[in-house]
Amino acid sequence: MTTAILVRRLLGRGIAGSLMLLLAVALFELVFPPVADAFGGEAGLERLVDQLPPLAQTLIQAQSGLLGITSLAGYLSTGYTHPLYLTLASATLVGFAARSLAGEMERGTIQLALARPVSRWRVYGARVIGVAAFALALSVAGPLGMTVGMLIARPDGELHYDHLPQLGLTTLALFWAIGGVTLFGSAAASTTGRVVAWAIAGLVASYFVDFFAAIWSALEPFEPLSIFGYYDPASALVRGTVPVENVVVLGVTGAVGALAGLAVFVRRDLPT
Amino acid sequence: MGKPASRVAVARPPAEVTIPDPVVETVGLSKRYGGFAALTDLDLAVAPGQIYGFLGPNGAGKTTAIRILLGFARATSGRARLQGHDCWRDGVAARRDLGYLVAPDALYPDMTGTAQLDYAAKLSRRPPVLRDRFLDALELPRSVLGRRLGTYSKGMRQKLALVAAFQHDPALLILDEPTDGLDPLIQRAFEELLGELRNRGRTVFMSSHDLGEVERVCERVAVVRGGRRIAEGTVAELTRLRRRTAEVVFAEGVPEGLDRIPHAAVLERDGSRVRLGIEGELNPLLRFLADHPVADLVLATPKLEDVFMAFYDRDSPDPIDVTTPADAPGPANSGAAGSGRHVGASDRTRATGR
Repeated sequence: MTTAILVRRLLGRGIAGSLMLLLAVALFELVFPPVADAFGGEAGLERLVDQLPPLAQTLIQAQSGLLGITSLAGYLSTGYTHPLYLTLASATLVGFAARSLAGEMERGTIQLALARPVSRWRVYGARVIGVAAFALALSVAGPLGMTVGMLIARPDGELHYDHLPQLGLTTLALFWAIGGVTLFGSAAASTTGRVVAWAIAGLVASYFVDFFAAIWSALEPFEPLSIFGYYDPASALVRGTVPVENVVVLGVTGAVGALAGLAVFVRRDLPT
Repeated sequence: MGKPASRVAVARPPAEVTIPDPVVETVGLSKRYGGFAALTDLDLAVAPGQIYGFLGPNGAGKTTAIRILLGFARATSGRARLQGHDCWRDGVAARRDLGYLVAPDALYPDMTGTAQLDYAAKLSRRPPVLRDRFLDALELPRSVLGRRLGTYSKGMRQKLALVAAFQHDPALLILDEPTDGLDPLIQRAFEELLGELRNRGRTVFMSSHDLGEVERVCERVAVVRGGRRIAEGTVAELTRLRRRTAEVVFAEGVPEGLDRIPHAAVLERDGSRVRLGIEGELNPLLRFLADHPVADLVLATPKLEDVFMAFYDRDSPDPIDVTTPADAPGPANSGAAGSGRHVGASDRTRATGR
């Protein structure tokens, strides 16, 4: 009962802004099917890739995220590795996780709950549920928008709708990892700004390592450290497969982050 | 023979009052932030049904103590208990029957007044039985409760925070600056509400910068300075520490023997007008005056504010014994307080001579 009250408050705060960001993610993915149709469907995409310079084609082949880009499903999967999508979704999630704990400590609003017979475990647990719910909403918003786009544009090519749950699982695992680690930062810091800054810096570094490790051998040893190395929406959408180890690594990353945040939060002093 | 007007303070340990089941209790409570000691060996015990004032200037350690009591911060050493439960290890039980006044800025600005009060009541797990009573007494109209808190003035948010703290009728209330931002009329209404709660056996632990308010509503007071408790006692005990002054106008000139009255010291003479400082018993002076024709007598009673200011004028941070006022090494006898300056201009008792 108390947890439900806390979660409702957490999700209800800034609900309009959160819905707008989820809508933006959905609209971003909605655009891809009409664009694919504008290129002439699968055949048009194949012709487009053939016309790219050799170096660009090499880069595409090196990126697992661009698997089967000439197929409709492959092309649509690029919507989930697109920097704009990742920035939009990550920033939304990071902002939510940062606000939910560090923001409440910064403003003092967390005292409303903690001055009452409510344990820190419960307050933190509500944040974990909130972040998980938000990550779930984000992972549903993209495929939902894409499906609407498909129904509107009906581009030539094949898309297995039964692969959408795998796509959802892949994105959920990534967002859970981002949310869990950000929650740790949120529990340890005392201001929203600091959490957002550190989380965004970490994500950019992680993305940079993953993107350039394939073509820059100096970064290769660091590739396993990037959470984006375990994020493969192309496999999920094109083949319907989600490597278990990817889900495990991302799931454990998020869980370790969340648990570390709990360990910090139940011991720390609230900021003055 | 009257005492000298100025005397070096001699530190004494404060007298301990044993309270069987204190509602608020700290024993040797200390808190350090790195090398800075925010609180040092704080001992407090608040009896059930008491309104207890916790005084000190900014940075004295009041808020740190309150934060530890609420479980917002962990003590470096010592013990803090609310209603018999450890504030850190058993925080949920410690806060089960508690009302805490949050700062007005710590309310959710996106919530309406009603939603905020409902949220607080649900988390307290108690029905808001006193909500209407407090809304009426604090003159917070029902019509504004539908508005978001972001549109409230500071005073309105303070009123709402007070309602949120009191509405579930908790056995213990911890209030940090409860009347900050309230107009004087509402402050008086609030003080009446505190009186009602005390009559119903509720305990209130409050910090305030409004010493007049503390004097009006609190039964006991603790004063902290530099993270240490320097005085504790009833308001009467504390005010007794302060030198009282008597201004006497003799009808037939100043009589002999004035400087030999026990507990009194001549501070000023101006013709037949004499100003005396009195520490402790007043009777020797009154007996002396009864034998001499007096044209006018003005007796000034010290106020808590005078005592408080004198505490902070002291050079010594040592605790003050409040139980033996006649020769107490408190503010009356220490530097500034013992300098013979006239204090406590209000609350005068006037008398005329025979």
